[in-house]
Amino acid sequence: MDGKKLQNRMKHLSEITLAKEIPQLTYAVFPGNHCPLMGAMMAVRGIADALLLVIGTDECTYYTKQSTIHNESFGGLDGRCVSLVLGQHDVTFGCKNTLYDTFEELMQEYQPKAVFLVTTCVVEVIGDDVDSMSDELSEKYGIPILPVHTEHFKTENHLPGVKDTITACFEMMEDVPQNNTVNVIGQRLGNFSETELYRLLVQSGVEMGMMLPSGTHVEQIRQAASAKVNIVVHPIGLPLAQKMKKAFGTPYVLFDKYVSPQKIYDLYQQLFTYLQVPLPDEVQALYQQALEVTENARETLQGISYIYGNTPIDCYEYNAFMVEMGMEPKLIQTVDYPGAEDANLQTILQHYDPYVVKTANIAPLQAVYDVLKPNLYLGHEYADRLQKKKIALVQSDGLSSMLGMEVCLAAIKALTIAANHARALQGGTV
Amino acid sequence: MALCRYLPTPSDRMGAIWSLLSIKDAVVLEYGPAGTTHYSVSLFSAMGVSPDQNLFCTHMSEDDVIMGDVTRLEDALTEIDENYTPKVIFVIASSVSSVIGTDIKGVCRYMQNEVNAKLIPVETGGFQGDYTVGMREVYGLIEQNLVGKTGTAPKTYNILGASPSAYRIQSDLWELRTLMEQSFGYTLGGILGMESSVDTLSALGNAEINLVLRAEALPAAQKMQEKYGIPYVYGTPYGYEGTGRWLREISETLGVPLSDAIQSELAERRDTAIHFKMYARMYRAPKAAVMADYDTLNGFMQLLREICIEPTLCACPHSLQHIADADASIVVFENERMQIDAFKKLDQHLVFADEISLHLCNDSNTKVCVSFPLVHHGQIARHLPLMGLRGTDHILESVDAYYRRLD
Repeated sequence: MDGKKLQNRMKHLSEITLAKEIPQLTYAVFPGNHCPLMGAMMAVRGIADALLLVIGTDECTYYTKQSTIHNESFGGLDGRCVSLVLGQHDVTFGCKNTLYDTFEELMQEYQPKAVFLVTTCVVEVIGDDVDSMSDELSEKYGIPILPVHTEHFKTENHLPGVKDTITACFEMMEDVPQNNTVNVIGQRLGNFSETELYRLLVQSGVEMGMMLPSGTHVEQIRQAASAKVNIVVHPIGLPLAQKMKKAFGTPYVLFDKYVSPQKIYDLYQQLFTYLQVPLPDEVQALYQQALEVTENARETLQGISYIYGNTPIDCYEYNAFMVEMGMEPKLIQTVDYPGAEDANLQTILQHYDPYVVKTANIAPLQAVYDVLKPNLYLGHEYADRLQKKKIALVQSDGLSSMLGMEVCLAAIKALTIAANHARALQGGTV
Repeated sequence: MALCRYLPTPSDRMGAIWSLLSIKDAVVLEYGPAGTTHYSVSLFSAMGVSPDQNLFCTHMSEDDVIMGDVTRLEDALTEIDENYTPKVIFVIASSVSSVIGTDIKGVCRYMQNEVNAKLIPVETGGFQGDYTVGMREVYGLIEQNLVGKTGTAPKTYNILGASPSAYRIQSDLWELRTLMEQSFGYTLGGILGMESSVDTLSALGNAEINLVLRAEALPAAQKMQEKYGIPYVYGTPYGYEGTGRWLREISETLGVPLSDAIQSELAERRDTAIHFKMYARMYRAPKAAVMADYDTLNGFMQLLREICIEPTLCACPHSLQHIADADASIVVFENERMQIDAFKKLDQHLVFADEISLHLCNDSNTKVCVSFPLVHHGQIARHLPLMGLRGTDHILESVDAYYRRLD
């Protein structure tokens, strides 16, 4: 594969005005992005007494069930991920009759408290009105039956599936009196109760309400409007938080995974102000520690170049942070574009104009490494392949289960370890 | 089809892809949304099939679906041809491209002028039936497009219809190689369905005989007989007597006598089997159930009958529409509920099945995994066959364990 040709296909970040203008590195991809069906599956996994009914081809239903079989949250092989497999008749005449028959069986056997009716590509292409079927079934069985549309040809990856599933939960919520709890919305990976943010909230006497989709029940979702604040830990939770603010007046804070100590400190202040609880002293101490660690790392990271793949941290915030630390982005892989006014985007462009391509297509990158010659790779790649190209891998998966100043501390540690490794690989010449 | 609680029967498209991925220097390109490709990787890995560098997809956008624009497919074909220089590119439809009616064949026809690789369209988009339909289609396409004769290869044989979807197939292939070497001094020419390359497929016509392991490969064997005059033997060697019958049929077809060594091994094993016939009489009515692909099922039914156990449930997970003269006692469940009820009812049976069916059986049964899907374990060993003499040795240990539990 010719790395130069691939380079010609890339665009610079300054050339992008819309997400769909971000080019794909090659026309043929492997493995490609996950689809929103998987995102929906990940979201329903965290709602303990809800059932996932996938309406799709043998293939979509097979792979979804296969993904849940070893997952205890889903109940394993006998668990609450089931499907309606479309036959030729359903594709030709619509799936309504089959769906209603399936539902009868399902209600007898599982008695779920809620059902997420997840449609896939073919259902959407043939235009079955699953929304109205859901309404009818919900009325008939007296439980929430929530349609989620997961056609992949309209989306880039699995995140819209998570977003739409948790947003659909709004339909279950009731207007209830407020208490002192907080909801955590949008945590896809990791356990919130293991985060710094959770620890500081509990130490301050704040109680947890709904944690969607990281671990909740239908009843907690019903009562979610009682929370004092919604903590949105990933933008996929924003549509639900916005609906809740409009309907129930619940304020929200977008407390994603960030690396800038100042940004994290500001969010802690905003959150504790909403909670009407004094900011814990520990936040101040962690902030000082993060500032110190950041300053100490500056020399090590200065001049280090990198390719950004995919990490649990907000893409543009992390890249802006690294640029401000003196690092050089050669290529950023993302499917998002935050808009020209975004402060992080502007920070990056003030210093560099990196290439940008879509994510999840690592096969052709092998040729790109020879052309761009980065020191680091951030994201999922084979470490041994990178090492042969004298590139160090930055381990980022551990950040999935972190929130707060710990993200900054862990990210800087991973970057400095990798930067030192890269220098060693290149004989100390970086 | 109604509620599916476990894994549905894999589709024609799935069967087609796992059969194509084992051809070296060929690429499979899916024209459809990328999520399915990404999702499929874990299944193929469980089957021991690596999709690295030979499975790609184009992805599809809403515009492609609405407008029927195939530019993305054309560009992907040109790109793969240039970057990977495969000898063949199989272009396979997805469920979405099938529903919107993309003319995959037409695209391959005009794009053939633009690329060096041979383009072969595969139109199994997931709605033509189960995986056996896809496998049959792919075996036919390979025979039609890639199989040829480059000379003669005396004392060689081919295996047609070996599939990564057959549990313990690597071990079975090892056993078949051993049997053919030991019995006739013949070596393996090539395989249709696994471990092949465009070159080995192009020389399949050189062999002296085709051994057909699955009904899905029969049409390809018949075509090869017509084109190249290669005779074939259809069947699988399960059980000691079954293995003996299978070897004798090959011997008659080749006109080559069985070696003394294998005849003596067969005689020795016949003596072992006598004990199991005696156990069957001692325990009066031992009960067995089998669920597996048709040819494996058929083999196990023969094996059980050989040791005087009459199976009470013989079930096949796929359609029998293309199987001529299938045993009337074989059941194909109309829906999953029927399968659940059938397996939950079993009591003190010796059950040979996949891990979902085994999961449904209560613990009074003796359970032996002989088929996909696997749930609780993976395959690593390549020396634990189900077929042949060593396969029967292995299975009879389970039969022995069953009798011990009945004590």
